[in-house]
Amino acid sequence: MRPRTRFEQLAMPHLNAAHTLAYWLVRNRADAEDIVQDAYIRALRAFASFRGGDIRPWLLTIVRNAAYRWLSVRQRASNVIPIEDAFSARDPDAKPVLELASDEPSAEARLIGAQDHARVRAALAALTPVFREVLVLREIEELSYADIAMIIETPVGTVMSRLSRARTELRTKLKAMIDKDERHAL
Amino acid sequence: MRCEEAKDLAGPYRDGELAEPAFGTFQAHLAGCAACQERMAEAGDMALTLRLAAREPASIALEARIRAAIATELPAAWSAGRKWRWPGLDPSNWPGFAYGGSLAAVCAASVLVTWLAVRPPADLGAAHDVVAAHMRSLLQDSPVQVASSESHTVRPWFNGRVDFAPAVTDLAGSGFPLAGARLDYVDGRRVAALVYKRRLHVVNVFVWPSSAAGDSAEQLSQVNGYNLLTWRRGGLVYWMASDLNPAEMRDLRSLL
Repeated sequence: MRPRTRFEQLAMPHLNAAHTLAYWLVRNRADAEDIVQDAYIRALRAFASFRGGDIRPWLLTIVRNAAYRWLSVRQRASNVIPIEDAFSARDPDAKPVLELASDEPSAEARLIGAQDHARVRAALAALTPVFREVLVLREIEELSYADIAMIIETPVGTVMSRLSRARTELRTKLKAMIDKDERHAL
Repeated sequence: MRCEEAKDLAGPYRDGELAEPAFGTFQAHLAGCAACQERMAEAGDMALTLRLAAREPASIALEARIRAAIATELPAAWSAGRKWRWPGLDPSNWPGFAYGGSLAAVCAASVLVTWLAVRPPADLGAAHDVVAAHMRSLLQDSPVQVASSESHTVRPWFNGRVDFAPAVTDLAGSGFPLAGARLDYVDGRRVAALVYKRRLHVVNVFVWPSSAAGDSAEQLSQVNGYNLLTWRRGGLVYWMASDLNPAEMRDLRSLL
């Protein structure tokens, strides 16, 4: 089978994982899409170096690097403020950050409650990227600590402690939001 | 074990990353500690909510864009030899890299050889046009000019636009919903393009009058990783292009 076809067969099923990681690193859909496309082409060019096994950690490493490259470029050009940040800057506690139509919760998700979803998303968005990425890789992609360690280029012990801190942070932020909403409700 | 110690182990335990003997000790503590059970349940709820709320599925447009980019990526970029060692990815993290350039060179060479060996058959005159048109349609915001699953909308739309009347059927019942149609330019002439969907795949069916007489059996080929199926029937030439597998393309052909 041609490497190009083989790459497509192995890598395309993980497009959602790649997009989710990129989105939560840059918090902007248009940029996340560009980053994922860039990462896939880079991965295709580097495909000869892929040693087989689960392609996900290998692919997500490339996606993560592409996202951080993009973030560092954005930092340099910091006079450009993404519209989502501009919105939340007006009211730092503003709830949903510019929800697009594609954000509509699925039928399955509605059981939990749209309110909780918006809150959890806002809480996750409020964390620093290092905490966001471990939460995405573990809670959404359900990757092993060893795979996460490979992707974020740290020892496994660091993954464990960072994940623990990230969960605590997320819980704190979420609780603060719920308390705030309840005070408003009274 | 005290709750303070147990707290640190709860995460790894839930993640299935806790080894013995810590696993057994924690489990024993959990069985007898209501507070830790409570915390555990709450952490589980939060993880589940996060999983449901924070997924960001890629759009179909992005998938099409990437497939097109993969298909048009020049093989020259692969054989460049240094391209694979792009900045940002530390090669030492990948055991394969550590063996150095020789292994990579062999891989790169085999990629090149494979690429050279698998070339599209030369007798497919229109094939390249068809693949180019298929890919162009994926690069646009929409592959259709008239978006409808109604054959009574799509068929009349071709009136005056092409000098023949292609048969248009919605096959949603068979898993091939009609997305719509557009005009395209293939083999030096204006052709009708019908667009069908199959899951996330886009299938383009190009139709134009045949210069040769009689019907012909279907012929399968592959260009740039796309499958092409062509046949002649009722004075019309059909070309079907998609990244769908050949079996399902044959299914669609039998329904048209």
